[in-house]
Amino acid sequence: MNYQWNWGVFFETIPSGDVTYLTWIIHGLGWTVAISLCAWIIALSLGSIVGTLRTAQHRGLALIGHAWVEFFRNVPILLQLFLWFFVVPELLPHDLSMWVKQDMPAKEFITSVLALGLFTSARVAEQVRAGIQSLSRGQRNAGLALGFTQTQTYRYVLLPMAFRIIIPPLTSEFMNAFKNSGVAYAVGVWEMVFVSRQMVEETGGQVIESLIVPTVLYIICSYAANLLMGVIERRSHVPGFIVAK
Amino acid sequence: MIQIQNVSKWYGSFQVLTDCTTQVSKGEVVVVCGPSGSGKSTLIKCVNGLEPIEKGSIIVNGTKVNDPATDLPKLRSHVGMVFQHFELFPHMSIIQNLAIGQVKVLGRSQDEAHERGMKLLDRVGIKMHANKYPGELSGGQQQRVAIARALSMDPICMLFDEPTSALDPEMITEVLDVMVELAQEGMTMMVVTHEMGFARKVAHRVIFMDHGQIVEDAPKEEFFGKPHSDRAQQFLSKILNH
Ligand SMILES: Nc1ncnc2c1ncn2[C@@H]1O[C@H](COP(=O)(O)OP(=O)(O)OP(=O)(O)O)[C@@H](O)[C@H]1O
Ligand SMILES: [Mg+2]
Repeated sequence: MNYQWNWGVFFETIPSGDVTYLTWIIHGLGWTVAISLCAWIIALSLGSIVGTLRTAQHRGLALIGHAWVEFFRNVPILLQLFLWFFVVPELLPHDLSMWVKQDMPAKEFITSVLALGLFTSARVAEQVRAGIQSLSRGQRNAGLALGFTQTQTYRYVLLPMAFRIIIPPLTSEFMNAFKNSGVAYAVGVWEMVFVSRQMVEETGGQVIESLIVPTVLYIICSYAANLLMGVIERRSHVPGFIVAK
Repeated sequence: MIQIQNVSKWYGSFQVLTDCTTQVSKGEVVVVCGPSGSGKSTLIKCVNGLEPIEKGSIIVNGTKVNDPATDLPKLRSHVGMVFQHFELFPHMSIIQNLAIGQVKVLGRSQDEAHERGMKLLDRVGIKMHANKYPGELSGGQQQRVAIARALSMDPICMLFDEPTSALDPEMITEVLDVMVELAQEGMTMMVVTHEMGFARKVAHRVIFMDHGQIVEDAPKEEFFGKPHSDRAQQFLSKILNH
């Protein structure tokens, strides 16, 4: 291989300013983490609600949940991002539309968080639904028979167990949120994928260095997400409970 | 206390209950038996509105269960129910299982609920396990906790759906003992069970169901003396012979 290694490239300043590529990539990491975490918060809250709705005994509610999941799960994330970025602003009332297009601060960031959050929420919703449905029907009846309302039955009986059961698949969704945040480069957020692409172009061929560092950083992020969920799993362990009965 | 009048119920086009009529008076113990699939569980779940009915009416303590205006959670809060598979809440300790309904539904304080819970646990012989989790208890112990949980709500009557049929023989007795005691104290009970020993000991009446219908409904002595229908006779000889 005739490759000219040059790790020093990270200490060169970027053409457009006085920061080094290293600083730039750390900023990129910051944006990646910010998008992923914000999107994850949206995904977890909306996904829990929608997944719960899908198991509701009320037909209409279940249907809304179903439509939500089908839309956000079946359209590619990149296309969804473009829809939010280019199409949705056009559909807004005139004044709001102008504001979104011209004055909205951090528009790229917010749109990316929204798109990734909604996309991931559909996947979380499916896990939550599966978790609730894996509990025996008797658990719901036991809650209701005690005098709980439907809401209380979810709150005190079904969801606490459902969430414990779905920690492993939720962990992979959390890690996916990090990996999928890379699409934000397409609307111009300076996150890690964007930075490494720029580096490849501007440094005249230091492809491996430019790609290896973000790769390692992604692995570290995912691993941290994994560790965090592991801690939560251990903390919420139920003595004597064996999954899947 | 419980009046079941001409109740019919369908699952889709399949009729599970056909024109069932019976009642349980205050202080009465009624045993419901019958072959698998005859609709015993369905009937008992209709009593506290866990299953809706299409025809007829069910009245519990003067409140019509199948009236859309009825506050079902409130009604259920004083109708205790015990399930075949215990259905304790696995993520809560035993004492929490007993306290949560009292606190969230009856509005008792934590201290009050714990105190009442410990008393009931003592009564069913599980006091020393109060801080364990359901998964750490044997089936018989879990079912006794489930009975205590139902009692913690100060029920006016108790429904049992095959409370011992998921248990090993040696655990059946410990659960039946608790139920016998309850019956002797005058609790109103509707019990789906095949434990004819229990029926002979404390039941006032025995109901025999087949194909969604109440085929026999007779005082205990009469029922065990000579059931009228062939079907009931066959069934009885089968379960009494092993
Ligand atoms: N949710 C349901 N949907 C459709 N059919 C049902 C449902 N639940 C019960 N059934 C049917 O209704 C009939 C009565 O069921 P049920 O559980 O009341 O019988 P059971 O007398 O309690 O029987 P077992 O002794 O086996 O518990 C059965 O044929 C059963 O298959
Ligand atoms: Mg049954």
